[in-house]
Amino acid sequence: MRVKFKIRRHDPAAGGKRKSYVQAYDIEAAEGMSVLEGLLKIGDQLDPSLAFRKSCRSAICGSCAMTINGFSKLACNTQILPQIKKHGEIVIEPLKNHTVYKDLVVDFSSFWGKLNKVTPYLTPPEESPTEEVRITKEDAEAVDDSQKCIMCGCCNGSCNALEIDDNYIAPAALAKSWRFVGDVREGNSTRRLDKLSTEHGMWTCVRCVHCTQYCPKGVKPLEAIEKLRDRAVEAGITDNHGAKHVTSMLDSIKRVGILDEAAMTFKTLGFVRSLGMIPFGFKMQMHGKMPRPLLFPAIDGIDEVRKICKEREKEKAKERLKREKKK
Amino acid sequence: MALKYAYYPGCASKEITKESDRSTRKLAKALGIKLHDMPKATCCGAGLLTDYDKQLTLAINARIFAQAEEMGMDILTICSTCLMVMNTVNHELRNTPGQLERTNKLLAKAGLHYSGKVEIKQLLWVLNDDYGLKKLKEKVVNPLTRLKVAPFYGCHSLRPSDALGFDDPEKPVSLENTIRAIGAEPVDYSGKTKCCGFQIDLVNEDLAVDMTGKRLLDAKGETFVSRIDDINIKGADCMVTPCPLCHVNLDSYQEIAEKRLSRKIVLPVFHLSQLVGLAIGLKEKDLGLTRNMVSPESIL
Repeated sequence: MRVKFKIRRHDPAAGGKRKSYVQAYDIEAAEGMSVLEGLLKIGDQLDPSLAFRKSCRSAICGSCAMTINGFSKLACNTQILPQIKKHGEIVIEPLKNHTVYKDLVVDFSSFWGKLNKVTPYLTPPEESPTEEVRITKEDAEAVDDSQKCIMCGCCNGSCNALEIDDNYIAPAALAKSWRFVGDVREGNSTRRLDKLSTEHGMWTCVRCVHCTQYCPKGVKPLEAIEKLRDRAVEAGITDNHGAKHVTSMLDSIKRVGILDEAAMTFKTLGFVRSLGMIPFGFKMQMHGKMPRPLLFPAIDGIDEVRKICKEREKEKAKERLKREKKK
Repeated sequence: MALKYAYYPGCASKEITKESDRSTRKLAKALGIKLHDMPKATCCGAGLLTDYDKQLTLAINARIFAQAEEMGMDILTICSTCLMVMNTVNHELRNTPGQLERTNKLLAKAGLHYSGKVEIKQLLWVLNDDYGLKKLKEKVVNPLTRLKVAPFYGCHSLRPSDALGFDDPEKPVSLENTIRAIGAEPVDYSGKTKCCGFQIDLVNEDLAVDMTGKRLLDAKGETFVSRIDDINIKGADCMVTPCPLCHVNLDSYQEIAEKRLSRKIVLPVFHLSQLVGLAIGLKEKDLGLTRNMVSPESIL
């Protein structure tokens, strides 16, 4: 079948002024052929000047991440014909949220920089353990998903928060952080969580679920972020808007069952910043949108909710104790 | 047999986006869909509770499902975040070995039990699948033929797709098809499956609002968008979203986005129930259009 590849090309080094442009190539694609094979064919037969990264061709090296029909994918494990069936064409652009070197080759230095920032290796506790730490199946499973990362950058390429905030630590480095915070041998989890709780850290995530959806290896960075946040709150690192947002949600559910928006705003922002919300609140009120302040009746059966919370809190405390004994 | 659901509007629609709840009730009544209230339902946790403790989120949501089970109905929600949280929980309970039993142990403390059989659907899904767009089309008395409508899916009505299992997150069609069924024209634009920013409104307002502004300008065809055929993009007259949280940002925060971007946007944003309601002849008052902060008056 003849298929059209439309590729966004850009060569910033050549003169610098020329903007990116789209070049189309027609190639013959057979059943089962990958987008990478298509690109190799174009490079071999039609246009040797087309630049793209590749190596293993089997979704292990993480070199060929790019934007295919709008979403981050590995070219080597994306087949051409199903994409054609869905979109009618193959539109390829460089991985988003990264600076382009040439055509589909992007600068990965920001990716590595973010990874370096989270100290991507185990650090021992101050007092060295006197015997080996036994890793149970459960312990290993806790960080399993995050170990599947091949550092292709698909998650960062599709991250909605990174698109706005270049300095955001972003999902790849956060999944890597969980790899160590969640490891029973790690000696500096709290210090790590402290650092991740600062500006541009883990509370910048907008929960758009793109990272988890478009990771080709099932790393589930969003779940890693949720676990990091859970551990941070548990460790008492709550002096930031993100953590306050979370604890005010819990308070609200335990107190009345449903979300008390006014109380949440107040608890998350604090007194002074809540004052800043007053003009906006007036405008909301003109349209009847101001949340009722603290006047909620609790839902029917709130006792059930409180019993469940209480029981789970007991469980959680035990789990924590068990983890800490290990260290 | 008439469609009936355990109705879970979500916390936002009980308070700051009441118009979404009210218009959904009117719409359901007009279409003959029965909505049964769930007075015992809690908040789903909106993802924030998952940040505190996943196991608790599973139990709190399973408690909601147990109520629906008692009522003998599936759940209909009008919030994408509730939809995502609840389906993610249900997926976990059904597919992770031992998880349903573990969660039921917590529920047992409150004398409850969940079998794992309840389905959680969004109004958009119900209109497309259960009710049917063909039937909806027959109900249209006021086809919105003049309107170019930007469908805004946002994140949680599509992802994570393994848990949701509805529509295609890379090429969704359900909102477009609904827009066509009520006589209007859907407009394609790059940001329709991206984030509105709502989740971090209170944590990092600037970032959230930048996101909101970007989505709105995309829909109006006023930004450079990376889709290759962007020259063909027509600006939308209005936007429609199945999610009240997206609505908060796209509508209520629109003026703040305008200030940050130092430019006018003025794009009316409808709740799905409002736009469909208009087409089937419901009164503007019943749809609560005056509660929308960007007035849709000029395009109606």
